[in-house]
Amino acid sequence: MRILNDIGLLFIGIGMLFFISGTIGLLRFPDIYTRLHAMTKADNVGLGLLVLGLSCQADSWQTVARLIFIWILVLIASSASCHLVARSALQKNIQPWSRP
Amino acid sequence: MSFIHIAFALILLLAIAAGLFRILAGPTAADRMMAAQLFGTCGVAIMLLLAEGMESPVLLDIALVFAILAAMATITFVRRAWHSSENVGEMNENT
Amino acid sequence: MITNYLAAHHLRLADLAGIAAVRFVIFSTVWFLLTGSEMKSWLVGIPAVFFAVGLSLYLSPPGCGKLSFVGGCFFIPFFLRQSFLSGIDVMRRTLSPQRLINPGLVSYTTTLPPGAPLIFFVNTISLLPGTLSADLQGNTVTIHTIDQDLPIWTNIQNLEGRIAVLFNQHEPKENNL
Repeated sequence: MRILNDIGLLFIGIGMLFFISGTIGLLRFPDIYTRLHAMTKADNVGLGLLVLGLSCQADSWQTVARLIFIWILVLIASSASCHLVARSALQKNIQPWSRP
Repeated sequence: MSFIHIAFALILLLAIAAGLFRILAGPTAADRMMAAQLFGTCGVAIMLLLAEGMESPVLLDIALVFAILAAMATITFVRRAWHSSENVGEMNENT
Repeated sequence: MITNYLAAHHLRLADLAGIAAVRFVIFSTVWFLLTGSEMKSWLVGIPAVFFAVGLSLYLSPPGCGKLSFVGGCFFIPFFLRQSFLSGIDVMRRTLSPQRLINPGLVSYTTTLPPGAPLIFFVNTISLLPGTLSADLQGNTVTIHTIDQDLPIWTNIQNLEGRIAVLFNQHEPKENNL
């Protein structure tokens, strides 16, 4: 069980890197669409790895099912909100940044 | 208590704090809202880490509520706040 | 009321009962996951599950897309792998010192039927490497890509094919059992 615990920590650690890169993207990318790319994808993968890591450490299958349920909820929520924000931005004629 | 989980939660808190800069900088309302969306995902992640780190499974329920509320907040923002402010602008131009 | 509903969706009473039973089991599982093994919670849970079944029959009537079990078994590993790759892709672009992005807009017209398959398609696009669905008009999806040099077209067609299999669009007769 000790090994499983360490593998879990490793997954959580990698997940943290994704969260950090999502935030960096949010600060660094030039327009709203590219920022949406960074936020949605990096954070969902980060949360996925976090859920995977915590599942390795969980003591009951019910906790694992709950963690996965939370991840799926966040996946649906963030892809839907991402689409809505991008669509409203297009309708408001916010032009995507493009390479000069 | 597992200190490593709490340390990870603190890293995420720093990620949120860095995201606050986007709220200051904007430039559009949606950029600011996206930082709030970051609070949603990172908030869920922090709750999950604390649930394990402080051994209180109740925090899992809070993570669930965060997950649902984050979606509601963004959808409400897009459907009400962002569009209606534009409509008010159009109405003012028309009158 | 029930006869109207059956007529409107071309269903027999037995079909409707079967579908409602399946949804009842699904929502009960969700309730169990949310509340744990506390028996008293079912005092609220049973009415909530009945309400959820009724609401789901109203909001998403049967027939707007049946999931195929085998399709799901193929789709989930594909999805997990692709979304992991998309995270890696974004990480690479955010952390590199140069600006590794070349964004652009692409329009794609899909053959997926409206309803569940189309919505699923639009939402999954945002979780794949380098693409983000930015608009949906009829069956034309506007896709924002972070890098125009990526093989967007191939990726999207691949995804579309897999979703068609997931929702039994290619062999509709096999799932009518």
